[in-house]
Amino acid sequence: MLFAGFYTALWFQGGKVKTRNLFTKFGTTFLWSILTIITLFPIYWMILVSTRTPVELFGKPDLSPTFLEKVHWKNFTKPFLDGVYSDYLFNSIIVATSNAALVTVLALMATYALSRFKLAGSESIFFWTMTNRMAPPAAFLLPLFLLFSTVFKFGDFTLFDTKIGLILLYCVFNLPFAIWLLKGIIDGIPKELDEAMVVDGANLFTIFRKLIIPLAAPGIAVTSLLSFLFAWNEYLLASTLTSVYARTIPTGLSEFVTTTGTNWGTMAAVALVSMIPALLFLFAVQKHIVAGLTFGAVKG
Amino acid sequence: MFSNNKKGWLLLSPTIFILIIVGLVPFFYVLYVGFFKWNPLAVDPSMQFEGFGFNYRRLIFDGVFLESIWRSIKFSVVTLTLELSLGFLLALSLLSSFPLKKFFRGVHTLPLVIAPIVVGSIFKLFTVQGLGPLPHLLKDYFGYTLNYGMNAEQAFWMIVIMDIWHWTPFVTLTLLAGLSALPQDPYESAKIDGANNFQIFLYITIPMMVPVLIVVIFIRLMDSLKIVDEVWMLTGGGPGYATRFTGIHIWKEVFEKRYYGLGSAMSILYLYITIVICWILYSVMVSRGKSED
Amino acid sequence: MRKLLFAFVATLFSFSAMAGGHAEWWKNAGAPYAGTTLQGIAENTPPGQFAGDVLAKEFEALTGIKVRLENTSWDQMYDKAIKDMEANSGIYDFVYIEQDIVYDYLNRDFLVNITEGLASNPDLQAPGVSLDDFTTFIDYFKDGSGDVFGVPMEAFIKVYLYRKDLFGRADAKAQFRAQYGYGLTPATSFDQWRDNAEFFTHFCAEQGMECWGTTVQGHTGHPASTYEFLESIAPSFGLYNWGVNMDSYQSCVENGGQLNGGRAKAALNFWTQLLPFAPPEALQSTWSEVGSSFAAGRAAQGWVYGENAAWIATDAEKSAVVGKVGVMLPPTAPGVMTQAASGNGYIGYFDGGAYGIPHSSKNIEATMLWLQFVAMNDHQADWAIAGGRITHKDTYADPKVMAVDEQADGYFSLMRDTGFLYAGAPPFPFHGAGRGAIDPFIYSALAGEMTPEEALDGACQALDQVMADLGYQD
Repeated sequence: MLFAGFYTALWFQGGKVKTRNLFTKFGTTFLWSILTIITLFPIYWMILVSTRTPVELFGKPDLSPTFLEKVHWKNFTKPFLDGVYSDYLFNSIIVATSNAALVTVLALMATYALSRFKLAGSESIFFWTMTNRMAPPAAFLLPLFLLFSTVFKFGDFTLFDTKIGLILLYCVFNLPFAIWLLKGIIDGIPKELDEAMVVDGANLFTIFRKLIIPLAAPGIAVTSLLSFLFAWNEYLLASTLTSVYARTIPTGLSEFVTTTGTNWGTMAAVALVSMIPALLFLFAVQKHIVAGLTFGAVKG
Repeated sequence: MFSNNKKGWLLLSPTIFILIIVGLVPFFYVLYVGFFKWNPLAVDPSMQFEGFGFNYRRLIFDGVFLESIWRSIKFSVVTLTLELSLGFLLALSLLSSFPLKKFFRGVHTLPLVIAPIVVGSIFKLFTVQGLGPLPHLLKDYFGYTLNYGMNAEQAFWMIVIMDIWHWTPFVTLTLLAGLSALPQDPYESAKIDGANNFQIFLYITIPMMVPVLIVVIFIRLMDSLKIVDEVWMLTGGGPGYATRFTGIHIWKEVFEKRYYGLGSAMSILYLYITIVICWILYSVMVSRGKSED
Repeated sequence: MRKLLFAFVATLFSFSAMAGGHAEWWKNAGAPYAGTTLQGIAENTPPGQFAGDVLAKEFEALTGIKVRLENTSWDQMYDKAIKDMEANSGIYDFVYIEQDIVYDYLNRDFLVNITEGLASNPDLQAPGVSLDDFTTFIDYFKDGSGDVFGVPMEAFIKVYLYRKDLFGRADAKAQFRAQYGYGLTPATSFDQWRDNAEFFTHFCAEQGMECWGTTVQGHTGHPASTYEFLESIAPSFGLYNWGVNMDSYQSCVENGGQLNGGRAKAALNFWTQLLPFAPPEALQSTWSEVGSSFAAGRAAQGWVYGENAAWIATDAEKSAVVGKVGVMLPPTAPGVMTQAASGNGYIGYFDGGAYGIPHSSKNIEATMLWLQFVAMNDHQADWAIAGGRITHKDTYADPKVMAVDEQADGYFSLMRDTGFLYAGAPPFPFHGAGRGAIDPFIYSALAGEMTPEEALDGACQALDQVMADLGYQD
């Protein structure tokens, strides 16, 4: 509501606004400060919880930064050194990295084909990839579980609870995303450049190596980083299709929903650790995040 | 070379192959299972064919399932409206320059990269009775009792607030990108023609922003119809059915009650509704994009 | 924790003694399987932690077989174990079988017959280990012909826990008598429970203490609340077997069931009217949070699972009420005690679980050794102290256990003397589906969205629908 009051004035001016009014300027800063507190406060509390013992968490919430004086490291060491969470972390790294690599390579090939070749029905294929991204994963839990555990069977090997299963599965939402993001970028590289190289006798591999990849490098980087992030953050499919050997770190979080004496401190610690790659990427992709999250439909 | 379509198909084939395996095959499989009566806990735990429409006929009268769909749609519309309004205002404010803008913008981006299940955990720790500070603060300073374990309305709105916290930044940043890219000429000629600020906003800014708005609406609707993770963490779908969105309902029917056949039919209907809604928006988005080219 | 560590060190020293003097046998028996890793899954309870931290290490040192026990949340334990057995994926060599799910597992033929397995392979039969040493709790894991399918690793009863310090305060006693006209004592009737709850809620508020009158395990989005009602509250009001008519598989009164009958409604009314006197987290509490709340000193009395009663009473690292905890039998409606004593009813849930072997396990023989190791008499006393559970007859008499019994206000002796009044869950193969149908109604009653009467009318219809769908009423 506060915002509404302030910005009706700005609205009416439309387009780019250059405010010289000091009151508006500091008003804006003030409102954004409040917003920033709202954003950070829950995260700050999680950090506090992750550094305290169960008994310290009893009673009225203490909001002072006690971690400056004392950190209950056991919340971190217990799950990650004694527990299975180090395995989950390792699985997450393998799955997300492999999936991002696979998706980037496949999407680059597919996008190039869709962009340069006149393939019959290529528009329909393009749309069809998108429906995979639209579909709610909850609708696919049962068929995927049954397929992974009983139908896709090669001797004793099933895809259930394997990292390879997750790596393939995450293509279902990451491939459409990557194809969409890269399509705009590759379409933007003039076709004439490819044709000139073909005349010089270059094959497809050379075109990719010398032309497409260098020119699309920033786009490819964003694609793979965001694919990694989506794979890292995925919960529902992983929780249904894994048990032990391919369990990822987000699924580990749900294991805290009920355990004896609900150990909030450990839960906060695991949540915090699982956020680390996201935070690292934030700095790397911040400039491109809009283009990335809108599949390239809006340039950041 | 580019007339040689074999090479093109070759480049495309791995993508198509993988998407068939993890996308198309599960779709046909769930369609198939949806025609059977099947529950492994039953006296007869095998698949029994009882006519094509067996499960679907039942679903049409299944109030709980239909309500869950209605709840998901209501949730999507509510969060979308709130996020769009808030995001638009924030995007406008970011057009001007003010102290610490870069820092604020950076912090604002933060929730976007956090996993939904982690967002659920953060909010659980923040709001759960006996641990989280929010109920205490509301009680002490506003005399307001927050206990979404008891209050269905509060539970629903708590999820809405969590979603706003998580996704408004997406709306803000996307709209900001759109606003920054608007051409200045229409504004200048409108001013020469003597249009007032309100008219300019209504007849110039909004129409020029429509393509970006559609993208935002499309992506937000698509994702909010799917919501499961953070709700699962925060309320588990309760109290009662208050936050049992379709995804959670299907999970419970399939993996708790083991209604495999009925759950598959639900999945198909859920899929159908989501795709139809998304498809409409998607077609609008694509045709708009085309007409601009 | 210190106790656990101590137990661990002690066991390391008394190694060969712990193997019942048969260290050589274990070494030889384990030799063919040395280097194998047995994967298991169980709920993260204090007894489970002892098995994973202490017994597994000891077993490995003795036989060379590694045991990796995954102690996780109750939800995940079921989800993962059932998925594994249904998919036949062979991930787990042993799974935790909660007493109430055993009929489901047996019905779906998930489990290896342990009696038969040992009989047909005498080389695996460990010396000095006998399934006859168990209390009657093991009977819940037998099939019709008496063969064992699970080796019990924990068993406890649901007790009434109260705060001795609060009930003993002179000012509280005086104020209570002035207000209610009788003396303040731990509850022996439901009315008294309610009065106590109401009294302490106001008393704590006046004294500026963060505490309330009673715990309520009333999570409105987790089946813990349904279990609390069906297994603890309802039986103590004389409603058994979820109110299901065991001949016709009907649960509505109209069809010969009991789930929406007078006793059920009285029970749910009693329970929901306690909510104003429970800590605010009650509606987000499973058994874990109830334990935490009580340990944090936030409740004066309440129904608490035995597995938590022990650590609440003794573990100062996690509990703020050490030495202040009293233990009693929960109150029952008139006549229930007589029915329970004669075997025609029960006053509450005899809770616990066993380790069983899924057919899909790839190391069935090695796992047989591990389960027998778990069943050995030698470490039962330490396990009882660490986890508040007793599965063997002799454990009750152990001096170490008796010493802790005193600290925990006689919890163990209470279990020994009154265990027969409790019972396991009804033998429903459709356990999960049935409970899933009842859940939303219990949640709604707790959240005040429905009256208890409406909720139970709805619940019995939903349960009947499931039993009809699954073919039990035919």
